[in-house]
Formats: sequence, structure tokens, C-alpha cells
Amino acid sequence: MAKLTIDDLKKIKEKAKRRTELREGGDYRAKVTVHMGTCGIAAGARKIMNAFMDELEQSKSSDILLTNSGCAGLCSREPMATVELSGQAPIKYIDLTEQKTKEIFQKHVIGGNVVKKYALGKGSEKTDA
Amino acid sequence: MEKANEKAYRLHLMVCAGTACVSNNSFGIKDALEKEINKQGLEDEVLVVTTGCNGFCERGPLLVVQPGNVFYQQLEEKDIPHLVEEHFLKGRPVKKLMYKPPKEKSPIPILSDINFFKKQVLIALRNRGLIDPEKIDEYIARDGYSALAKALTEMEPKQIINEVKDSGLRGRGGGGFPTGLKWEFVSKSSTNGQERYIVCNGDEGDPGAFMDRSILEADPHAVIEGMIIGAKAIGASKGFVYVRNEYPLAVSRLIKALEQARGYGLLGKDILGSGFDFDIKIVRGAGAFVCGEETALMASIEGRLGEPRPRPPYPAEKGLWDNPTCINNVETWANVPVIINRSADWYSNIGTKTSKGTKVFSLVGKINNTGLVEVPMGITLREIIEDIGGGIPDGKKFKAVQTGGPSGGCIPAKNIDLPIDYESLTEVGSMMGSGGMVVMDEDTCMVDVAKYFISFTQNESCGKCTPCREGTKAMYEILDRITKGEGKEEDIDLLEDLAKSIKDSALCGLGNTAPNPVLTTLKYFKDEYEIHIKEKKCPAHVCRELNTYTIDEKTCLDVGHGCDLCRKNCSANAISGETKTAHQVIQEKCIKCGVCYDVCRFDAVKVK
Amino acid sequence: MVNLTIDGKKIKVDEGTTILQAAEKNDIKIPSLCFHPLLEPYAACRVCVVEVIKKGESEIVTSCNTKVTEGIEVKTDSERAMKARELNVEMLLAQAPDAEAVQELAKDLGIKETRFEVKDPDEKCILCGLCVRACEEVVGADAISFNERGAERTVSTPFGQESEACIGCTACSFFCPTGAITVEDLLGREVIHDELHLGPSSAVRVPIRQAVPMVPFIDEEACIHFKTGECKLCEQVCEKEAVDHDMEDEEVKVEVGSVVLASGFKPFDAKRIQAYGYGRFNNVITALEFEKLVNASGPTGGKIRLANGKEPESVGIVHCVGSRDENYNEYCSRVCCMYSLKFAHLLNEKTNAQVYDFYIDMRCFGKGYEEFYHRLLEEGTKFIRGRVSEITDVAVTEKEEGKLVIRVEDTLIGAMRRIPVDMVVLSIGLEPGIDQNEIARVFNISCSQDTFFLERHPKLGPVSTFSDGIFLAGACQSPKDIPDTVAQAGAAASEALSLADKGTFELEPVTAEIDKDLCSGCQICVSLCPFTAITYNEEEGISEINDALCKGCGTCVSACPSGASQQRHYRDNQIFAEIEGIFIE
Repeated sequence: MAKLTIDDLKKIKEKAKRRTELREGGDYRAKVTVHMGTCGIAAGARKIMNAFMDELEQSKSSDILLTNSGCAGLCSREPMATVELSGQAPIKYIDLTEQKTKEIFQKHVIGGNVVKKYALGKGSEKTDA
Repeated sequence: MEKANEKAYRLHLMVCAGTACVSNNSFGIKDALEKEINKQGLEDEVLVVTTGCNGFCERGPLLVVQPGNVFYQQLEEKDIPHLVEEHFLKGRPVKKLMYKPPKEKSPIPILSDINFFKKQVLIALRNRGLIDPEKIDEYIARDGYSALAKALTEMEPKQIINEVKDSGLRGRGGGGFPTGLKWEFVSKSSTNGQERYIVCNGDEGDPGAFMDRSILEADPHAVIEGMIIGAKAIGASKGFVYVRNEYPLAVSRLIKALEQARGYGLLGKDILGSGFDFDIKIVRGAGAFVCGEETALMASIEGRLGEPRPRPPYPAEKGLWDNPTCINNVETWANVPVIINRSADWYSNIGTKTSKGTKVFSLVGKINNTGLVEVPMGITLREIIEDIGGGIPDGKKFKAVQTGGPSGGCIPAKNIDLPIDYESLTEVGSMMGSGGMVVMDEDTCMVDVAKYFISFTQNESCGKCTPCREGTKAMYEILDRITKGEGKEEDIDLLEDLAKSIKDSALCGLGNTAPNPVLTTLKYFKDEYEIHIKEKKCPAHVCRELNTYTIDEKTCLDVGHGCDLCRKNCSANAISGETKTAHQVIQEKCIKCGVCYDVCRFDAVKVK
Repeated sequence: MVNLTIDGKKIKVDEGTTILQAAEKNDIKIPSLCFHPLLEPYAACRVCVVEVIKKGESEIVTSCNTKVTEGIEVKTDSERAMKARELNVEMLLAQAPDAEAVQELAKDLGIKETRFEVKDPDEKCILCGLCVRACEEVVGADAISFNERGAERTVSTPFGQESEACIGCTACSFFCPTGAITVEDLLGREVIHDELHLGPSSAVRVPIRQAVPMVPFIDEEACIHFKTGECKLCEQVCEKEAVDHDMEDEEVKVEVGSVVLASGFKPFDAKRIQAYGYGRFNNVITALEFEKLVNASGPTGGKIRLANGKEPESVGIVHCVGSRDENYNEYCSRVCCMYSLKFAHLLNEKTNAQVYDFYIDMRCFGKGYEEFYHRLLEEGTKFIRGRVSEITDVAVTEKEEGKLVIRVEDTLIGAMRRIPVDMVVLSIGLEPGIDQNEIARVFNISCSQDTFFLERHPKLGPVSTFSDGIFLAGACQSPKDIPDTVAQAGAAASEALSLADKGTFELEPVTAEIDKDLCSGCQICVSLCPFTAITYNEEEGISEINDALCKGCGTCVSACPSGASQQRHYRDNQIFAEIEGIFIE
């Protein structure tokens, strides 16, 4: 390894930070939850999750949290995902495909506009965890 | 590894790989996790990271899931498949593996909601559980080496010293000498054309203390960065880390960290292009407690017999090979980068008037949550014991807390609202020490505690000066006979005289402070000594030779139906009776081993 | 200067003075055990503790290493200081009850007995470290150090083994305040023999026990200072300041009229006779080593001991070692018979050992010598006539196990014998001195066939040589015993005196002279002159003859190519005139 200059140090920091930022538990602008119950997985939620991850990586943004959760109860419309922008009500998307996922990510998560044609509705169940 | 570094992951599983968790099979957990993740095809989504000590050692092996800060504890390999499928695949956190405080019904899923973590303020342990200590990039990601960059390029040595001085940071190894002032002395003492040295004292030897080990294991770069900044401030070009060889994990992580830092040019010639040269060498100590004393430590580094010499001259004047040397403790060094990064003002806002910042304690003994905690100075003992520590197990009463290791003293329950700082601890006869905190409940015999600590210092005394070598031995002999019921009335006075004289006339800190456990127990628990001597009884029933064992015949017969277990286990044949009859202890034969008391499942054996 | 008070007394001392030094200067006594003025303060015994009050704050410090500072008030006998001191002494009394220094200190402090547990009532070592520091700081040998820690601490060599680093200087014993390290301890090792060494001896010593004058010298090979540059302890303790390590050998020129040569002899090197095993067997020693062993001021205090420290049960004395032997020296060394008899007598007197004396001929020629021999015969010494062929440790019978066996042909009974003994003393002979030939060359005298100096005439000039003014005394002329040497020395001295007393010196009339006008300065004569009487005068370019040295041998006369050198009274023309005179008849 070559000797670092102060600029190199900053570059390493930026690069490494992107990878580890997730651990900091800070505030996120957007949270994407892929529902991965048995039903979801059977309907192809894994593909959806991967598609979101690819998008996230390409976007290089660090303020988006991608997570998974269990079955949302609407097993017939899986795969499903919930997108929640901070300060706004969560939106549930149903019958997702990889193509749809990309669109939702670009338009809603990045752009801030709800993609109404894939959305189920607003709101989320109350949880008591 | 490179691939892992480049990729982004959805989940980071922070597996604690501190010594305590490692000994609880955390590497087994890590392997099981990786195996299971591969099985579920999650290897591109979930990353397993080994971190340094998380602190909540009581509950190891530990796993923190990020993002979300979900805290899993006391994991076993068999739990892993279920955990991976439920949480990491299906997103349903597993409640039964979460921490449930005693007396409470539901578990607490989030780490930061757990009382143990809630009241802690992390400065020295700022990276704990968040980085892999073996990856320098992860340290850099969390502002690592940015303080060094600042110190090397934007600050004059004098400014660095002033910043540390203004921060109010004091030596965390026990003495509490203002760090900045020490640096100033070293930087001003003449070298006669020779070098100045930086030394990191990692010879942690107090029984039950593991602060330094934890820092070295969890965040070795923090210590290295602090040392380089210190070197710049005092104008040193060579540093030594003295770490005991009983800490193999700390040594191996330190070696790795030094290699990485050298690889990045953060050690060696022309650091970060600033023209400043500095390098660090590891010296492994052979485990003598006295080598934690700075003059003995230096002798050991020089390859001589590890025994202290009189001060003055202080190391700042004549240290290693008679050159000015700056010795600070691991924790002190780990604080330095934060002070430089976040300013002296910020740091000095934490803590009390005379004691600034935070202190790491290892909380052990009769307490629910044993582990490593970092708390702001000025926090009360009550907050540590009741809130962070979760109180005393089994509903017992809190009796005393011993701080400062074998050099410290016992603080009685009545002082539980004592705010913790250097001065207040000294005032009650104890000391900050390196941060050991042993909690004792009502079942603890204070004479026995004093005897334990004196036996430790007696074994660890280097033997150079008379009061420490002979005095600790004499004190041990007296305490030993008191616990055996052979104490004489004049023994208390003799003990007190001895303790005071040793404190006055011993050569080094080890001897000066060795009588503290005796002095404080005599001060706060004199009645216990008197009962031992006059009534030949131990109120806590710890000193077995003073106990009398009897069997409550009614309980034995009615509840236990004369189970005969005690008689079978009695090696002295001192119990009479047979199955379904009440048993008796034959006092003349009883050797007071206490086995009957331990084995009786019906509490029929009574001890007086 | 620094102002302070000690026990209420106002005192002014130099900066850098320790409290102990300041007190001492003012006749205030502070007891101490681990302090020594020649060593760095160690501050370990904590007996010299005093109370120091500085700016109202009281502190207990050790006076040996604490330097004075302005305005301090020192109390050497305050209650607090005394309590610490008394307890420390009381604890030392329990640790080293047999240490006299501690007992005395305890007595002074009014401590009758210790209240602490005594582990070993015979312990003397108080672990003050004086020995360790002396070995490190003064000697520079670092041979001993502390072992173990705490109450287990002891002073020892590495792993308690005999250490090569120890040079046997005994400095540790010298510094030990309680007598815990004694020299006997140090000498309890195998006897190492060297020509005159029997075990470790001090680097400062008198060359031989009966040396005249009795002046010690520093053995550069053993002296620590010449090895490490440290020590110089002798220089510091010598009150007369007579020790000077920088002194070097110097040449002194003295003009004298005559010289008495008494350059002595060299003892025969017993290692040359390999069959006798000297150097291989620890208990085969030479006569000189035996002499040292038996000397009251020797390493064993005059006790005759084997290498393992035990007394021998039988001793063999072998005569004629290196003498009367065509392989070594053919001559008789003349003194061995008598000193061997003396050894036998000493052995009979000091030990119960059976003494065997192996001789070829008993040569008891002096006054009273024969009578001494008869006394020995009566004392029970067994005399065996015959040359010893071999000394071996290979045992043939059980009786010989662990012994040295002397093989000899007993010529009186005509049989080979094997005599087992514990110790063998080799009666080594006398040989000409090491630089005998060199001396002969310098003084221009001759040596006889055996390399001893040749006297002018065995009967008519036994102390003179062929060079006038050079006389001989003692063993450099031939082996002799002390009475003979004294007699010869007296004769040589009176010969020398008779020359000085006369004030004038008669020259031989028949000497050579060089004619200045004829001499070409070729210097052939200079190198030829056996008496070094001719020197070359560079200024004039001619050779000159010293009349006092010239013996008139005529070598230069016959060699001179130009005929410049002529013998007085025998010049060429005189001789020719004489020849002519003969033929006139």
C-alpha cells in the first residue's frame, strides 16, 4: 500500500463510510420494506429485494434504508413492498416485478412522487412489537 | 475481503469478538451465522462483522443487528438457523433471543433502550460494536485518523498540549495526573541530543479489571492515533506499547493494527506528508502486576528487572534510558483523538469540576449486569449499580463496592450517592484506580475481602522495599488468623498501625495503596473485625472456620424426609442419621467445610 | 545554597545534597541499612525515613534519596517517622532475625522482639540490594540479581547456578552489611589451578606471600577496572591515595659502575610431562601451589584441602619432575629433595594423611639436611626409590576407586607398584629464566650448555663473568637453595663493592686503538667487536674504541681492511721488529 496523503485519508473515509453508515442508526430520508413472509418469498420477493439493492447501490445514496419484514397479510398480492418517506405516510405497492421495482425506486424513493398505478393504498398496520 | 469491502449490504451483523464473548463461543456463532446465511442465499445481502467488546459481557455471546440496533444475547449455535430465517430473511425479529431484564416480563429489542447502555457515554469506547477492529478502513470511516491529520497539519505542538490541558483530561491509569501538564513537562525537559519516548501502559493487572484489554481489542487504532498525536506534541519519534502477554487477542489485534497503520504511512517516516516521523513497538510484559507501575514498566522495557525506583526523577525528566518519557494509560491515549477532533471545550463540558470526560469501569461482582461501562465523571454509584448494573441479584442487599482494584478501598452502602470523580473517591479512602468496580452484597465478609486483596498485593509485591514486602505479608498473616478465629484484640490496632506505616513509607504506588482495602474496611466495617475477634463468628458466614453448622431436625424430617444427602457427602463422617430420620451434625467431628450446607436442597442445614 | 531545618536546627547546605547527607554533616544521625556512599541510593529498606514538612504539608520520605529543597522542615524523630521506622525495623527483624545490623538497630529503637512471624531464624539477608548494586554499579559484572518477588525474593546468580559472569572479586561480600554473603561461600567451588593461582584471588595483591618488599600490585588481567572501566573501588577506599590506575611501566636510566645479576629461575612447567596429568586432574598440584595452599595467609587459611574441600587421606610427593631427566633437563635442580621433605613434614604435622615420597636419589647435602631426612623416616613417611612413570585415575582395584594411582618401579624391591593416593604434589625443578639469553646478550656474558649464566671460573671466579663489573648471584647461575644463594649474593656484592671502594679501575694495557687518519668509517669492526667496545662517530666519520670496554682480543685489528685498528704494544711494526730481532742472532 502506498503512503497516504490527507486527501487519500478523506477518500478512504468516504468510501468506507458508505458501507458502514448503516450501523450508525441515524435518520433516514426514506425507508423501503420488502415483505418477506413465506408467501412473499414464494411469490418472488427475493428478486424484488435484489432489485432494490441494485438500485440502491447504483444511486450511491446513503440516506435510504432498505429492510425486510414479515408477511403483510395480503398474501395473494405478493410480492409487496412499503415505501416510507420521512414525514409522509407509508405507501404499499403490490404485485411487484423487477421492472416495477425500478420505476418505484426512481420515481418515488428518489423523486418523491408516489407511483399510483402500482400502489395498494396509504397507511400501515399498527404494530405492538 | 476486498469484495466484501466494495459491496453494499442490507444487513450488518455485529458479532462481539471481545475476549469474554470469544470464550463463550462467539466465533462458533459467527461461523454458524455465515453457514446459515449461505444456505439461505443471503450472502450478498447480509454481512457478518466481528467487533471488539460490546461491554455487556454478562450476556455473551452477543449480536447486534444493524440497521435497527437489535440486540441479541446469550446465543447458542442451535438458535442460529431459526434466527437467520426469521429475522434476516423474513424480517421478524426473534424475541426469545433478546435481553429481558430481571423482574420484567417483555424483552427489550433495541440496544439503546436497554438500561445498561442507556446511561453510558462513549468516548474511549466510541467505536465499540460498530467497527471491525481488524479493518483500518472502518476506523477511518468513523473519523479515525482525522484528529491526527488535524494535529499534524493544522496545529503546533504547543497548541496540541494546550488543547489537552484545557480539556481537563487526567490519567486514566489510576493516578489522575493531568495529561496535558505531563505532556508539557516532557516537552520541556532537556534531552541532551537524545530522543523522547512515548509509552502506552497496557499492563492492566487489577483482579476483575479489563478496560484496557477491551479498548486494545476493540479499537487498537484509537490508541495508536492518540500516541502519534502525543508524539507530535512532545517531539518523540519512538513509542512503546507495553501490553501483557496474557492478552493474546489484544496483542494480535495491535500487531495487525500497527501493520495496517504502517502500510498507510500513518506510522513511519513522513506521516501524511507532514515530515513527522514516528513508530511504535510492542513490548510484551510477563505478567508482573508491579510492572504497571511506571518506573518498573520502564525497567522492564529496558530489559531490566521489573522493580520500581524512587521518584523523582519522574519519567518526564528521566524515563526510558534516562531520556524524557511520556507514559499514559491505554484509556488516556484513546481519549486523545476525540479531544483534538471535538475540541477541549466540548470535552470539558462532560464531567465534574475537577474530573472531566468519561471513565470506563469494569463492573463485576454481585451485580446483575456485569460488563464494561463508560460513564461520565460525576455519575453516582447508585446510577451505576442500580440503573446500569441492574441491581444486586437474588434480591440481596447491597453492602459495599470496591473500586480501584487492590489499591482501592471499599465504599460502604451509605455512600451510594457518591458522585464518582478522582477527589470524592480519594476522600472516602478509595481511589479511581484503573477502573475496577467490584460490587458486594450482604453475603460478603469484609475481613475476607481485605484478606483477598492483601493476598493479591502480597503475591505481586516486587519485594524491593521492606514495608511492601514484609508489611503486606504481616498484614496477611494477621487477617488470616482473624478469619480463622485466632485473632487477638490488639490485632486491630496493629493492623491499623501497619497499614498507616506502609502507606507512609512504601516506595511506590503499589505499596502506598496496598493497605487501602484494610484501612477502608477497618473504617467502615470495624464491627465485623470485632465480631470475628471477640465472638469468633463471621456474620456473613464466609469464614468457614468460624461457622457452626447445625441441622434443623424438623425441616430435615418434614420437608426433606431425611434425604441423607448431607451424610453421604460429609467427608468427615460428622453427620449422623439415616434415610427418613432427622440428621444431626456431630460438632466434635465437623471440619466446617460447608458441604452439607451447599448440598442440602431443603435449607435444613443452618449456619451460625 | 539551600536553607532548611533538621530537628529544629537551622542548616545551610549545597543544592543537590540529600537530607541524609545534610543531617550527617550536622551530626544528626539517621539510621539506614541499604545506603552506601559509593552506590546510588536505592531507597529500599525504608529505615532512613523522615518526616518532611513543606508549605504546611507533611510527608514521609526516605532521606537517602530525597534532595533538600528551600525552606523544608525535616523531623528525623517525629512520631510519624519513628512509627514507620520502628515498624520497618521490626519487620526486618522477623525477616532476617540473624542479621546483626538489624538486631543492633532494633536495640537502639527499643524493639525487644518482633510481633511478626519469623520464617527462618538463621536468615541474615535483609534484601537491601547492596551486593547486587555493587556487582552492577561498581564491578560492572552483573553476576547476581534478585530472584523471585515479594516475600520469596532472594539474591542469587541466574537460576542459582554458578555464573560465568562472576569474577570472584568478592565485592558483594565486602558491601554486605549483615554478613549474609561470606567469602567462604564464594570459594566453595572447584580449585582452578594456574601457575600461581589457587581459586579466585583479589586483583590487588602481593605477588607472593613472602614477597620483599611487601607491596601490593594490581593484576591488570583480573582487575575489573581494566575490563569494564568501572570500579576503582580500591582508589576510593585508599586513604593515602596511593592507588593510581593510570600508572604505566616506565624505563629508568641509572648510571652504575657494576651490576649484580640475580634474575632468578623459572619453575618447570609440569604440563610438559603429560603422563603426570597435571592440568587434567584437579588434585595433581605443583610444589608452588602446595606452598600456597599450606600458607597460613593462603586461600584456605593454611588448611590442606583437596579440590572438593576435603582433607586428603594420602598424598604422594614426586621428586625430580623435569630434573635429572634426559627428556627435559639433565641437571639436578638441587632444591627439590629438601623442599619435598619439608612438605612431607608439613603433611605429617597438619594432616593424618599417609605420605609417600618417590625419589631417585635423596640429595641431602647441606648442613643438618641429612638429619632432617632421618627425622622424616621416623615420622612414618614412606620413601619409595624409583622414577614415577604415570599418574592415572583409572582404577584397577576397588581400593583405587576415586583415587589417583601412582605407577612406579620400586627399584629397591625390583617391582612395579601402583600406589593410590588422594593428592599428588609434583616437585618441579628449576629452569633458567624466561629471558635468560636476552639478558646474556645485553650484558655481554655467556651461558653454559644448560642456559644458566656462565661464571668466569668455577673455582677462581664463581661470581664474576667474562665482562668486568658484571657479577652473578643466585639461581640464574645454577639451581641453588637459599643458603647457597645468600652466600653467593654476599660474594657478588662484595666484589662489586671492592670496585666501587677503590674509586679507580685498572685497565688492561693491551687494548686496540684506531688511527683516525687511516680509518675509512667502513664500520666492519663495530659489528665484529664481541665486547661492544667500538662505536661509530658519525660527525667525524670514523669508528672509535672505548678503552674501558676493550679487552684487547684483537678481532678488529685483524679485520680492519685499512690497518687503522692496531693493538697497543703489539703493533705490526713492533711485531716485525721483534721478528727481525730474533733473526739477528
